[in-house]
Amino acid sequence: MTDGPTLLNPKLLWPVLLGCALLWTIFIWKEWSQRREIRFWVKIMTSFTGLSCLGLMMLKPALPMEQAKGRGIVLTEGFRSAQLDSLRSKYKGIPVERYAPGEILKVTDKADSLFLLGNGLRPFDFWQMQDRAITFLGAGETSGWSVIRHEKQINLGEALHVRAEYMQPEKDHWAILLDNAGNPLDSILFEETESQELEFTASPKASGRFVYALVEKDQDGTIASEEPLPIIVENMRPLKVLMVNDFPAFETKYLKNFLAEMGHEVSVRSQLTRNKYKFEYFNTASKPVYQFTQKDLEDVDLLIIDADSYADLSASSRTALEKSVEVDGLGLFVQPNTSLFKNSKNSFLKFNVDYPEKVSFSGSSRTLEKYPYMFREDFPVQSILMDSVTIASYLVRGKGKMASSVLRNSYQLILEGDQGLYARLWTKILDRIVRKSEKLAEWESLTEIPHIDEPLQFYVRTRLETPQAQTEGALIPLQQDLQVSSYWQGTTYPRKPGWNQLEIQKDSIATFPYYVFSGDERKTVSQRQRMMANTKEFGINENGLEQDIALTKILQPIAPVWFYALFLLCMGWLWLEPKLSGQ
Amino acid sequence: MGDKRLNDFKRRWQQMQYTECALYAVGVAGLFYLASQSFYLGFLGFVVGMAVALLLFKPWKLSAEQTVAYVDAHVPEAGYSSGLLMLPQSELSNLSKLQRYRVETQLDAVLTKLKPPHQLPMAAMAMFGLIMIGLAIQFMLKEFQQNPKTPSTPQNIQFAPLDSVETNTAIPKLSSTKIIINQPDYTGIAIISTENPNISAVTGTVISWQLEFDGEVSNVQMDRMGELFSLTKRNGGFILSQTLEASGFYSFSFEGANGNKFVTDLYSMEAIEDQAPLVEIDGLDQYSYFEYNEVKQLPLNTKVSDDFGINGAYIVATVSKGSGESVKFREETIRFDGTLSKGKKQLQLKKLLDLDKLKMDPGDELYFYVEALDNKIPSPNISRSETYFAVIRDTITDDFAVESTLGVDQMPDYFRSQRQLIIDTEKLIKDKPNLPEKDFKFKSNELGFDQKSLRLKYGQFMGDETELQAAPGQVSSVESEHEGEEGEEKDLLDAYSHKHDSDNEHNLVEEHEGHNEEGGEEEEDPLHDYLHNHDDPEESTLFEKSLKAKLRDALSIMWDAELYLRLYQPEKSLPYQYKALKIIQEIKNSARIYVHRIGFDPPPIKEEKRLTGNIETITNFDKKQEFDHQMSFASSRKTVSRLEQLIQGSNFTEMDRVLFQDAGNELAKKAVEEPLKYLKVLQGLRDLDKSVNRTRENYTQVQKGLLSVLPQVENNPGKMEQYDDEINRLFINELGKND
Repeated sequence: MTDGPTLLNPKLLWPVLLGCALLWTIFIWKEWSQRREIRFWVKIMTSFTGLSCLGLMMLKPALPMEQAKGRGIVLTEGFRSAQLDSLRSKYKGIPVERYAPGEILKVTDKADSLFLLGNGLRPFDFWQMQDRAITFLGAGETSGWSVIRHEKQINLGEALHVRAEYMQPEKDHWAILLDNAGNPLDSILFEETESQELEFTASPKASGRFVYALVEKDQDGTIASEEPLPIIVENMRPLKVLMVNDFPAFETKYLKNFLAEMGHEVSVRSQLTRNKYKFEYFNTASKPVYQFTQKDLEDVDLLIIDADSYADLSASSRTALEKSVEVDGLGLFVQPNTSLFKNSKNSFLKFNVDYPEKVSFSGSSRTLEKYPYMFREDFPVQSILMDSVTIASYLVRGKGKMASSVLRNSYQLILEGDQGLYARLWTKILDRIVRKSEKLAEWESLTEIPHIDEPLQFYVRTRLETPQAQTEGALIPLQQDLQVSSYWQGTTYPRKPGWNQLEIQKDSIATFPYYVFSGDERKTVSQRQRMMANTKEFGINENGLEQDIALTKILQPIAPVWFYALFLLCMGWLWLEPKLSGQ
Repeated sequence: MGDKRLNDFKRRWQQMQYTECALYAVGVAGLFYLASQSFYLGFLGFVVGMAVALLLFKPWKLSAEQTVAYVDAHVPEAGYSSGLLMLPQSELSNLSKLQRYRVETQLDAVLTKLKPPHQLPMAAMAMFGLIMIGLAIQFMLKEFQQNPKTPSTPQNIQFAPLDSVETNTAIPKLSSTKIIINQPDYTGIAIISTENPNISAVTGTVISWQLEFDGEVSNVQMDRMGELFSLTKRNGGFILSQTLEASGFYSFSFEGANGNKFVTDLYSMEAIEDQAPLVEIDGLDQYSYFEYNEVKQLPLNTKVSDDFGINGAYIVATVSKGSGESVKFREETIRFDGTLSKGKKQLQLKKLLDLDKLKMDPGDELYFYVEALDNKIPSPNISRSETYFAVIRDTITDDFAVESTLGVDQMPDYFRSQRQLIIDTEKLIKDKPNLPEKDFKFKSNELGFDQKSLRLKYGQFMGDETELQAAPGQVSSVESEHEGEEGEEKDLLDAYSHKHDSDNEHNLVEEHEGHNEEGGEEEEDPLHDYLHNHDDPEESTLFEKSLKAKLRDALSIMWDAELYLRLYQPEKSLPYQYKALKIIQEIKNSARIYVHRIGFDPPPIKEEKRLTGNIETITNFDKKQEFDHQMSFASSRKTVSRLEQLIQGSNFTEMDRVLFQDAGNELAKKAVEEPLKYLKVLQGLRDLDKSVNRTRENYTQVQKGLLSVLPQVENNPGKMEQYDDEINRLFINELGKND
C-alpha cells in the first residue's frame, strides 16, 4: 500500500461490481429504444456515475493522509514555545495537554504517538507512556545551579568540598558558600560564560546536622538564588594505638606525644635491652604486650611498629598480626628505616629507587627528609597524598590495611615549629589506615532530590536477618534483593521538608537522616536530572521529526457524503430528464 | 404647634453642636493622654478642649431667629414665613393667619426630617487627626528615649529572673543604682556618678557600685570575667569598689527571698590606657648643615600634646667634638623659652638653638631631641621626638689618596712586632761580619726606628697623646686606609710580617690594627669602645693598674732597646728587646680570659661486673600518663550543635544551661583580648539563660556569632564508622588471591 486510494472494504469489491454491472445492463436494456438519440448516451453516462458512487459508498475508498489524529503533545516544564508552535502549524488540531506530576494524562487515550516537550516526565510517571511512541524533544537552555555535589556526611576536622555548576551565570554576581548560621565560608565571582564550574572548600567547626547554603548574590549583595546544602558532621572517636619499637626513637616519641595529647589511648613498647622494655601508657590502663596475639590486638585500632621489630617478629606473633589485619581490620603502620628498603623481601610494599632525599609540600615552604625510594604504585597498593605528594602507601589486606611511608624524621616539623603541618601529615596518614568501627547498617537514597509527597527510594545494607525500617513510627516494607541477601530496598513518602529520618526498628544508632527539599530548591538540578532520565527512557529526538511522520501515516476514508451527493444528482437527472423531454 | 416644632429643631441643632464640641474635646484629650501617658493630663485636655470649643461655638446662644432663618433658607415649603409660627396667633393679621396655617401644615411633614447644619464629619476627622498626632508623638518620644543610648544594652541595670517558673511571686526590685567612677586625680576628670553600667574609664580608675533593692535579697555578687566578688551590705544597700585595670565584662546576680536567682545582662568595662605624650617638631630638617661663617641658629618649634596633661618637656642636646679617637661628647639639657605650664593638654614650645652658644667649632656635630613626660602617676609616660642633627662643616678634611700619576709609592713602612725585631736584630748581629759598616749602621738605625714605632704603638694603649703626633699614628691610619681601599694589599702586609707574629700571638696589635681599619673609614676613635673618652692617659681604664705599670715598664725598656739600636749596638739592645717581649707576652696573657674546662667524671667502674652481660637487675620501665584532651572550644562547638537542634524545635533543658555557661567561660578567656568581637556572642549566650529569650531568632543569632568567632578544628586522626559489606569483603579477598 503505497500512495493512492485504497479500499477499506475490498471484500465487497466483486459483489458490488457484479451488482452494479447488472443494474447498469438492465438500465441500458430499458433505455435501448432511445439508442438513436443523444440523450441515451447522456443517460448511460449519468447512470454509470451514479452506480459508481453507490458502489464506492459501499467499498469505502481511503487515502493515506498526514493527519493529526492519533498524535498528541505533552507539555512539561520548560518546553520551548517555538517548538510547540511549529508542531501545531504542522499538525492542525493536534491535542495538547499539560503534564502535572502524578496525574493521569488524558491525551494518551486518544493518541498513541506523543511528542514530549520540555524537561520531561517524572520517573514515577513513565508508566503512563508505556506502549506509546514517544518523541522526546527536550527543553531549552536552563539557567541556575545545574549541578551541586558535596559530601553528605563528613567527619569533624575534615574539609567540606562543594562542586557546583552554574548555567548562564551573570557577570559580577557572586557565588557564596554560607554556613548554617549564614556566615560566609568561601566565595567565587561569576564570569561571563555559558556555564561555570565552581568549587568551594570549607571546614565545619562543629558536629551535627546542618543546612549550609549556596547563595548567589548580585553586586548590591541581594540574594539572587539560594540552594540548601544539607550536611551531617560527625564526631570521630579517639583511637587505641599500640607502638612497638626496637629502641626509643625520636620519630616515635613525637608521634606518641602528638597522639597522646590529642586524647588517644596510646601504649608504647620500646626495647631497652634484651627482653627489657620500656612501657608507656597514655590515657589507658597498663597492659604490657610481649608477644602479639589476635586477642590482644582485638581492641587495638592501629599498630605502629618499626621495620626492625616487624622483621624480627616471631612466627606466632606474625601470624597473629596478619590475622588481626585481615580478619579484624587492624591498621598497621611500619616505620621505615634503611634496612626495610635493603631487605626488600620482608616488605609487603614494593619500591623503586628514587634519588631525591627531600620532599616539599606546596602551600608551605617546609621540606621533609625522605628515604631515596618510592613505593611502586602497582594495583592493590594505594597512595595517601597530601598536596599531591605521596606521603604514605598502603595495601588493603582483608579488612585491614598495611601501610608504610618513605618519609623520615617527620618530627623535624615540630622542632621547626610547624606543629600544624605535622598534625595534618599524620592525620592524613592515620585516618586512612586505622580500623573502622563497624556500622550496623548502611543507607543510601536512590532518589537524589527528595521532595514532599514524592517517592523516596532508598536501600539499606545490613547484616540483620529481617531488618525493619521505620520513620516516625510507621513501618516501611523492605524488599530483599534476590542475589544479595544483605541488600534491601524500600520507598517512603516524606511528609515534611527539612531533616527527616529513617531508622532500623529497635535500633536508634542505625539511623538515616535525609533532607527533604521544598519548593523551588534544586530546581535546575532536578530539571537536568529529569531531562537525563527522560532521555534515557525515550531517547532524545531533536531533529528527527520527518522520520517519525512517515511511520505514522494513516489511511483516511473518503467521506461517503460526497459519493452520496453525486449519486443523488445523477438520480435526480435521470428522474427529471423524461419530464423535460416529455413536454 | 409650630412653635414647638421649631423649638424641637433648634434643640436638635444645639445637640449637634454640643456633640461637635465633645468630639474636639475628645481629640484634644487623646492627644494629651498619648503624648504624656498621663490620665490626668488627658482629662485636663478634655476639659480645656471642651471649654474652648463651647466658647467658639456657643451653642446655647442659638436664637430662634437663627432657626427661623435657617428653616426659611432651606425649606421652600416654608415660603419665608416660618417666622410666623414663632409669633402668638393673636398678633397676626388674617392674611398672616392664613399663611401661618398653610406653612404650619406644610412644615409639619418637612420639619421633622430637616437636618440641622452640622460639621460632625469635620469634627470627627479633627479628633482622629489629633489622636494620630498623639500616637506619633508617643512613638517619637519612645524612639528618642532609646536612641541616645547604646543600642541593645540598657542604660541602667536590670535584673531578670533566671527561671521563668515562679515569676508571679514578688520580685525584689532594684530601687536605685549608683555607679561612682573615680578616675585618677591626675586626669583631672571629676568624679562621675551615673546609672549607665557600661563603663569606659582610664586605667586605674576606682569604680564603686551602690545597689539598693526594695525587698529581701541576699548574696549579691558581681561576676567579673568569671571571678565572683560579693557586694558588702551597708546602709541598706550593697556596695562594691573595684579598680579598673583591664577591659572586661561584668554582671550582677542576687538571690531573692525564696532562693530564686536573678542576673543582669553583661555590661562592658573598658579600660582606656593613658597615652604617652606626642612630640612633634615642625619645620626642621633632620640634618642641618652650617658653614663656619654663617649665623648658626636653629629655630626649634615643638608641639607637645597629651591626653591628660604634660608635666615637662625639654631638649636633650649632645655635642660631639673632634673626630676619630679624640671625639668628645658633651650632653646637656636645654629648657624651652618661657615657663612651661604644667598640666596643659597641649603646648607650643619654642627655642632658638644657637650653636655658638653651645661652644661648637667647625667640624662639631650636635644631636638633639625633645623629650616630654605626662602627669601619669605613679610613673609618667615619657616620649621623645626623633633625633635631629646639626653640623658645622669643617674647613678642611684630610683625605688620603694614592695618585696614580705619582711615581713613588708613598706607602709607609710597617712597624714590626717585638719578636720580629728580635729576629731581625739577631740576624743583623749574625750578619755583622759580612756587612759593610754603613749598611750595618743603617740597618741598626732602621731597627731603632722600628722599635720606636712599636713603642709608640703601645704608647697609644696608654693614651699617650704627646707622642702620637709623630709618624706612627698617621702611619697606622694611612696604612689601614690603604688597605681598606685595596684589599689585595693585605698580601703585601703578609710579606712583611711573620705569620706567627700576627695571628693569635699578637692579640693586642692585631686587635688594634683591626680597629684601625674601621677607624680609618669611619673616622672614629679606634679605641672608642675601650676608652671612656678620657684623654688623660692616667685615666685610661683599658688595663688594670698592674697591667698599666707593666706596659709602662715595657715602654721604658723599649726606649732602652731603641737607644742601643740607634747607637749601633744591637747586641746590647737584644736583652732589652727580650725583656720587652716577655712583658708584652705577660700583658697579653693577662688580658686573656680563661674558662676552666669542665669534664665528666664517670663513676668508678666495677671491674668484676664489666662486660658480663648480666641484666637481671634491670627491670622493665613503666610510665603512665593521662592527658585530659579537649578539642579547642569543645563546649562552644557542642553549643553550636545543640543550638541547631533547638532551632529545629527541641526543648531547652537544664543541661543546655550548663553547656552554654561552659561555652561562655571558654569564650570569655578569648574575649579579654578582643572584647568587641566577643561581647555580642557572650551576651547572647547569657541571654539564653533567661527563659524569655529562648526564641528561634535568638538561637540563630547566637549560633551565627559563635560560628564566626570559633577557630578551625585542629587536625586529629580518629576512628570512623564503616559498614563492612559482605560483597566488598568477597571482592577484596578475590583481589588478594591474585596478589
